[in-house]
Amino acid sequence: MTEVPCQRIMVVDDDVFILEVMKELFEPEGIEVVAVESGDACIAELKKGFRGVVLMDIMMPGKDGWETIKEMIDLDLMEGNVVAMLTAKDIPDGELEYIKEHVIDYITKPFEADEIVTVVKGYLDYLA
Amino acid sequence: MENAAPSSRTIVVIGSSTGGPRTLETIFSRFPRVDAAIVIVQHMPLYINSSLCRHLAKTTRMDVRIAEDGESVEHGTIYVAPSDVHLKLVGNRTIRLFDDEKVQFVRPSIDVAMTSLEKNGGDRFAGVILSGMGSDGAQGIRHIKAIGGVTLAQTLRTCAIHAMPRAAFETGKVDQMLPPEGIREQIIRIAGTL
Repeated sequence: MTEVPCQRIMVVDDDVFILEVMKELFEPEGIEVVAVESGDACIAELKKGFRGVVLMDIMMPGKDGWETIKEMIDLDLMEGNVVAMLTAKDIPDGELEYIKEHVIDYITKPFEADEIVTVVKGYLDYLA
Repeated sequence: MENAAPSSRTIVVIGSSTGGPRTLETIFSRFPRVDAAIVIVQHMPLYINSSLCRHLAKTTRMDVRIAEDGESVEHGTIYVAPSDVHLKLVGNRTIRLFDDEKVQFVRPSIDVAMTSLEKNGGDRFAGVILSGMGSDGAQGIRHIKAIGGVTLAQTLRTCAIHAMPRAAFETGKVDQMLPPEGIREQIIRIAGTL
């Protein structure tokens, strides 16, 4: 679906501090960061055509990360995106196991800056 | 393991889910060409099948490709199971892809691939379970142990999500829990280089 190298990520997190940190980490690398604070805002960006790596917080007020992914699947908004969970929660064992095929990774906060940049760059390359 | 007869195969099946791709890239970083066919069953969307192959091919000396229905497995090659179909190794030689119902919410299923292996005169087997949600692969590990294979699982502390290797471990049939680098070395040791 994506013909040009993808250099966009979307960070979905109700913690504004995390959104700012991600911008500081990725924008100097030439990676555009779309920062949104809710699952609904994420869905809206996808409907507008966002394609790239989506870093999704799990525990958010309103629609949580899992519910957002389920909606992405239901609305056929997954294709062309790589989704990784970004969370302080440790292990989601057994939780919503039926969508696990759609979640490539689980990145636990706090994260090492170098590590997350390397990992996300790798997933951006999946979409190139 | 003792050396197998020339006509025999050494088959390594690696089961992997969430958090698995980066573990796989660590395992296959600077990975030599080994005397085994390696089948990777990674739960993932269809549109990144080829990307995973491309990433793995960058660093390993093995041939890497998406498994195709009807092809014979060859040593020195990594076969990545395509999404949305189950993969079986018929007679331990021929890849067959089946559009059956999902097993434990997934297709391809690690259990389906591993339990398709059959004990025979000379073939050797290894089963490996990496990071992931759920318990896919536990039944497969039990089967591989039952047919005389070597069974490995990723250490829990090195997993993004440790449910799958933990479920495999709880079968009591895992020979070793190892970090990705240890799994790499063990596969090389089991298979031998070409």
